[in-house]
Amino acid sequence: MDLTVSALRKRYGSNAVLKGIDVTFRAGEVHALLGPNGAGKSTLLGCLSGAVTPDSGTMRIGDDEFPSFTPSSAFAAGTAIIYQHLQLVCDLSVADNVFLGQELTGRTRSIRSRSQKAIARKIVRDLGLHVDPSTLLGDLSMGEQQVVAIARALRHEPSILILDEPTAALSTDETQRLLVLIRKLAVEKRMTIIYVTHLLREVLEVADVATVMRDGQILWSRRVADLQFEDLVEGIAPLALVKDSIAARARGSVLLGLEEFGSSRAGSVTLELHGGEIFGLFGLLGSGRTDLLECIAGVRRSRAGSMCLAGEPVSAGSPRSAQNAGIALVPSDRQIQALFGDMRADENVLMPNYGSLSPLWRRRRSERVVFDRVASRVGLAPPRPDLLASEFSGGNGQKIAVGRWLTGLDDISVLLLDEPTQGVDVGARQDLYGLFRNYVAGLSRSILFASSDPEEVVALADRVAVLVDGRVVAIVSPEVGETELVALAHGGSADAAKRWETLP
Amino acid sequence: MTISDAHDSSQFGSAQRTQIRMRLSAAAINGFLPAAVIVLMGYFTLASPVFLSSENLMAIVTQNAPTFIVAGALGVMLMAGYVDLSIGSVLAVSGVAAGLAFTSWGAVPGIGVGIGIGIVAGCINGSLVGLLDWSPIVVTLGMLAFGRGLAQYLAPNSVFGFPDTIVELGSGSWLGVSYLAWGAAIVSACLIVMMARLPVGRHITAIGVNTRAAFLAGIRVKPIVFGLYLMVGVAAGLAGILQVARLDSAPSGTLGLGFEITVLTAVLLGGIPFTGGRGFVWRVLLGVWLMGVLRNGIILLNMGPEVASMITGGVLVLAAGLEASRRFLRSR
Repeated sequence: MDLTVSALRKRYGSNAVLKGIDVTFRAGEVHALLGPNGAGKSTLLGCLSGAVTPDSGTMRIGDDEFPSFTPSSAFAAGTAIIYQHLQLVCDLSVADNVFLGQELTGRTRSIRSRSQKAIARKIVRDLGLHVDPSTLLGDLSMGEQQVVAIARALRHEPSILILDEPTAALSTDETQRLLVLIRKLAVEKRMTIIYVTHLLREVLEVADVATVMRDGQILWSRRVADLQFEDLVEGIAPLALVKDSIAARARGSVLLGLEEFGSSRAGSVTLELHGGEIFGLFGLLGSGRTDLLECIAGVRRSRAGSMCLAGEPVSAGSPRSAQNAGIALVPSDRQIQALFGDMRADENVLMPNYGSLSPLWRRRRSERVVFDRVASRVGLAPPRPDLLASEFSGGNGQKIAVGRWLTGLDDISVLLLDEPTQGVDVGARQDLYGLFRNYVAGLSRSILFASSDPEEVVALADRVAVLVDGRVVAIVSPEVGETELVALAHGGSADAAKRWETLP
Repeated sequence: MTISDAHDSSQFGSAQRTQIRMRLSAAAINGFLPAAVIVLMGYFTLASPVFLSSENLMAIVTQNAPTFIVAGALGVMLMAGYVDLSIGSVLAVSGVAAGLAFTSWGAVPGIGVGIGIGIVAGCINGSLVGLLDWSPIVVTLGMLAFGRGLAQYLAPNSVFGFPDTIVELGSGSWLGVSYLAWGAAIVSACLIVMMARLPVGRHITAIGVNTRAAFLAGIRVKPIVFGLYLMVGVAAGLAGILQVARLDSAPSGTLGLGFEITVLTAVLLGGIPFTGGRGFVWRVLLGVWLMGVLRNGIILLNMGPEVASMITGGVLVLAAGLEASRRFLRSR
């Protein structure tokens, strides 16, 4: 059934995330939804799936019009959504996952596990995956788990299927199979498929229509047959960052050296980070980007190898000892790991440094001076110390989280950033990139960041290390481009491929 | 001006209205406890001529001094998102052990023993919960049972016959203010200053708001949590000494029985959410004061303590309802 969205708006506090969305998703078509982080894609999907209540506007499915959905009413209307981070339970079997929450029960209300298995086996096989339905989900590869998630969604024969970056964690082979499967669902079952991705090659391959969102609005919506690759690039990366030639950039001496450094996953990493350098870590979901940053920052213990800072060996046993050595981490998932939502902006900025700013007695006046300095340095808007951290928009929240290490009270020389612009709108992203560039400008400091977004890596990094399974497979210049980075990050696993039937 | 701009500005108007509504509701919620105290005190003043006399008010403070001390400390702990249910039993062990020491060794060793018991209990709780990350509820519930048993084991019968110094401590006064009230005032002042003026106060709140973020920001979470348990243990130990001094006896079976419920009620009345991250020490003290006034006034009016208990329960649930409505308004 067609799904038509009209004049949909959503605002969080002073931050408008959707500014009037009008778009139609047609039955039997794969509709790709593109846009940079913070464009409002996730919020739109949230509205369609019932996770988010829009402020105004309507959504029409077939002949029924809805002002908003709840998860169960969206489900009843025939919508199924599959998130990037699968909502499945690794400790349950494939069949149990397919039926999770809607178990088949007999007259005594007990689970009819034999029929569940038979049905699950059939659905999964129809999708081209041959596994025993009693296999534990955790024993399958990411691609196979993705298929189980689709099987679960298809059990109720939805008319609308939403896939949020389904290939982000898949190998090249698995991605190919999934794309074929998605086309098949659209053509044979006449399903409306909404496909969110930032991999442009996939769009050209699988989609009938592509819609680009930017800054809470629809930029354009066009048929893929009429599109060139360049149109898509222009669509999602509008503000080609003004980047001086990388080769011309000055570089200081080695600041951070990792020697056979073992993060908690398999493999070890050897790399050198120079002063004045912004170094990117790129890899798929589960490639060990975050683990590596957390080991360097003392959040978790490294298993092997050594780390040197400005030639001196350091070993960080806790975030605090890492900070004393001069290394600080700005974690991903800002609201969960970085900000104190219910505390004021100045408290958030000063938190690591209350001790050094005021050894015993708090000095409010010097606190204010430091906060004002940080706020103007990061361009915080509004630059008010008394607002709660949760009241700032995504970009300003990130400025607070980064500003914590720019007080000048500590001596942080290596800043580690995990997904530095997750959930940040376009304008604030530019501010942050400028801030990072500025930070390393004196050649005495450097930044190591991890990102799952190839565009961000290309836009920000001076050099990029591509991680696969916790190991560095290549260190390249970002000038190789997004497509090459993504290809490097995909390590196809021959073992998992055997369980798939060969697709035409 | 485009259509979209017009729409945005009208939405901003509604956002402002929402903000005003939130401010008003916040004022209603923040003002609830003080208003309840004023209404109750007004009512008791009209109903009983004795109520507003300085002797009576001082008696309320003196009677509730142990509660003030422990509630302040537990309030600070709850701001960090942790709880200690063993305070009543620690108070009992400390009171009984101090009582025994008073009768056989004298005043000063007895005070040392009482405080020492608080330190030991706080260190055990703090090590298990703070350093080893065991469940605060389970650990301190265990300590609650253990401590009660230990108190009765130490002194199966009531301990009495304390030296004069202790009797004086329990009933005497200085500058018209009882020693117990002095104790409560000094401890409360220290806690208020700690939370408002010392860096560690911000760290404690930060742990309650977001433990993970606090750890990543370089706050020493484990030592601080350990310190909080130590502080509450010492407060309970001190409260035990003051309580037996006031009663002039240490009844091991009833001393501090149900104390944790009283203190927790006062702390929650004071508006500290069970998950921590917010609150003020003075509001906790106001919560203790409300309960003390209620019990006192009800007795003056010749009603039973059960009426006070019912009113306290009603006020607590009402406060919880207001807190929930605040969350509801904020989420919209």
